[in-house]
Amino acid sequence: MTPVLESTSQPASERPAAGVRIAGPAVTAWIRRHRTWTLIGLVFALGVALTIIAQLSPGRDDAPLSTRNAAPDGAKAVSVILGNQGVDVRQTDNFAATMSALERADGHSASGDRTTTLLLFDRNGYLDRGQLQELQRATDRLVVVTPRLSALTALGGDIRPAGVVPEGVSTLEPGCGLEDPAVAGAVTAESAYLYQAGRPCYEPSEGLGGLYASSGDGRLVVLGSTQLLSNARLDEHGNAALALRTLGASEQLVWYLPGIADVTTADAPKTLDELAPPWVAFLGPWLALVAVLAMVWRGRRLGPLVFEPLPVVVKAVETAEGRARLYHDAHAVDRAAENLRAGTLVRLARILRLGPDAESTAIVDAAARHLGRTTEQTSGVLDARPRTESELVHWAQQLDTLEKEVTAR
Amino acid sequence: MAISGRFVLLALTGLVPVMLFPDWGTVLLVCLLLCAALLLDLSVAATLRKVKLDRTLPGNVTLSGSAESVLTIGNTGTRRLRAVVRDAWQPSAGAQNPRQRLDVPAGERRRMTVLLQPARRGDLKAPHVTLRAFGPLRLAARQRTLPCPGAVRVLPPFHSRRHLPSKLRKLRELDGKAAVQIRGAGTEFDSLRDYVRGDDVRSIDWRATARRSAVVVRTWRPERDRRVVIMLDTSRTAAARIDDEPRLDTGIEAALLLAVLAERGGDRVDFFAFDRRTRGRAGSASKGNLLGQLVQAMAPLEPELIELDWSQVPGQIRQISAHRSLVVLLTPLDGGAPEEGLLPMAAQLAQQHLVVVASVRDPMLGTMQKERATAAQVFRAAAAERALLEREAVAIQLRQMGVEVVDAEPHQLPPALADAYIRLKAAGRL
Repeated sequence: MTPVLESTSQPASERPAAGVRIAGPAVTAWIRRHRTWTLIGLVFALGVALTIIAQLSPGRDDAPLSTRNAAPDGAKAVSVILGNQGVDVRQTDNFAATMSALERADGHSASGDRTTTLLLFDRNGYLDRGQLQELQRATDRLVVVTPRLSALTALGGDIRPAGVVPEGVSTLEPGCGLEDPAVAGAVTAESAYLYQAGRPCYEPSEGLGGLYASSGDGRLVVLGSTQLLSNARLDEHGNAALALRTLGASEQLVWYLPGIADVTTADAPKTLDELAPPWVAFLGPWLALVAVLAMVWRGRRLGPLVFEPLPVVVKAVETAEGRARLYHDAHAVDRAAENLRAGTLVRLARILRLGPDAESTAIVDAAARHLGRTTEQTSGVLDARPRTESELVHWAQQLDTLEKEVTAR
Repeated sequence: MAISGRFVLLALTGLVPVMLFPDWGTVLLVCLLLCAALLLDLSVAATLRKVKLDRTLPGNVTLSGSAESVLTIGNTGTRRLRAVVRDAWQPSAGAQNPRQRLDVPAGERRRMTVLLQPARRGDLKAPHVTLRAFGPLRLAARQRTLPCPGAVRVLPPFHSRRHLPSKLRKLRELDGKAAVQIRGAGTEFDSLRDYVRGDDVRSIDWRATARRSAVVVRTWRPERDRRVVIMLDTSRTAAARIDDEPRLDTGIEAALLLAVLAERGGDRVDFFAFDRRTRGRAGSASKGNLLGQLVQAMAPLEPELIELDWSQVPGQIRQISAHRSLVVLLTPLDGGAPEEGLLPMAAQLAQQHLVVVASVRDPMLGTMQKERATAAQVFRAAAAERALLEREAVAIQLRQMGVEVVDAEPHQLPPALADAYIRLKAAGRL
């Protein structure tokens, strides 16, 4: 009750009505008055700022197999090693940039003899047939990581998907005559795809297809596993050897991870925006502006609110009701019975004119005589000791009836 | 600054050129035009720094009545003031038309009348006035809040006034102004008069009869010029609401009726409201109308959430009256621990004064005590029984000390207290 007291007992004249002061109050005083909200606002602003900074900070890239991703599923390790070995690794994320990077790489190479490699990891199949073929034409050597059937068909050749590495196989041996796999030795085979080709390497068993497939002229290489290149697994078995030999064959390496921007929309149907007349674009924003103006119009209050010092008012019967609930919760049948009995005896004594000091036995006798009954009958009611709640209810009603009878006669 | 609905409509009509020539250039142009209209209208609106406010207050008003507060707005500037004025009364003042449109030409003044229908007793305040001055196009307005404090005192309603005529008649019967003069109605010797058939033979003054040929009887009248001290408890227990009325308000009604009655009965009345310090004081010793002083003293009373300091009460009463008085304590019988506060103080006061304790009984307790259909109701009945027994015990103890106890339901308390006063006066116990 203490805060209520403070807020009500103080006369209204002593408090400054908020906002009435015309003279500008000190900023510090304002902050002190709104300390909680200022703190909450500061924390919120700080949180927003940190989130924005975290989002905008450069170099962070959590795409799988990205050369800027140092997470277990990234490929920063392999790209750094390649860079240290003199390979110029350049990552791109859209088709136009890739093409220009490939052209520049061609220009760099003086001899023009198989010096550009393109690594393509199209996780979601964004590229269409035409784009894939253009890429193939622009590069000397194309390394495709876990391609789909559509991509492989577009790239030509006879390499086809052939399922996944069976469960329980953790490493695979080269088992083929190609130079790179043969030198690299066993590699990680977990969660890898298999490809059928003329000369598949790393076959789990004969005829199933291999994790590493290469076209006849060696210009198209298919790697069936992202694990080989990932930061987490690069140092296991012959993973690093295979990755570095496959990707480090030329001086220029373009690392292409296609994004949503590469999806061609040329053949999509016309959108609603294109069909609508030009003024429709202005309708919404203008109506929004009008709505904001309407809010300003209605929201501007005509002066500050006026403080109403409300007096404290408590329902008087609350204390009795609270005590009743306490009795009920504690199953205080005895206590309740004693109260009811005492109340009845006091009233009976008054009705029967026995005075306030009358003994209960005297009241019982007097009531019996008054009603023309035996003492046992009235004392049976007045001296009963109810044990349970149902008995208490029954007995309370009996008491009430007795009292009414005495009053009535 | 504020904008009007008219400006919003204007912005909406701006949609037409934007639709006809859908281009960002058009949008910019229309926006610029709107801004220009807004600024132009704002710049030619009257300056609110040159507004003089003057308030005429109605003074006092009773709770059920209404009053008019007049605000005079003077425009000392050079431009016409087209204003919306809000006289900011607190909500319970019940201002019926606090917002008004006012057109004040330069150098003139206009009056604004606000009708107040107060919903609460006490001092109701209006701390400030807000003005909104529109330009001639009524597109935009300057707004300013000017401090202009005003207050109106709402007096207690004195509903128990309706009991006054009947109680006064009873009092006059005692006083002998009515036809019958009965022995025993008062103890103060009044006069001698001739015996009339029907007079009590015991009142015959034999000595006077011996001096004259006719039989002479003595008449008595009730004592006059006795002191009545009314104490109203404004401590935390006064905040309790009984039958839709706080105990404090019931106490005020009872105190008003008793005070007016006692004053007509020729006694001196003093009133004070007390919890830990005196919250209000009035008495017939000071100049002016007693009822007016009482309602002025009672109007701002509010229950304070603190315990009543009983130890100070005898001192307060001694300050008011050094002689034997009728001390009326308007305080609850069941407020926490009466054994510690009320009982010892009442005993101490009863040695010197005649003490009456007037208390409000909660009719809800009686209802609770009779409902016995379910277990929950029986427990409620037991709790109510307990509360009633405690009250009863305190009342019995008080009566044993010679203190009169008036215990009645809210609407019955004022007449019951008045009856107690008349009874005591008739018995000559004042």
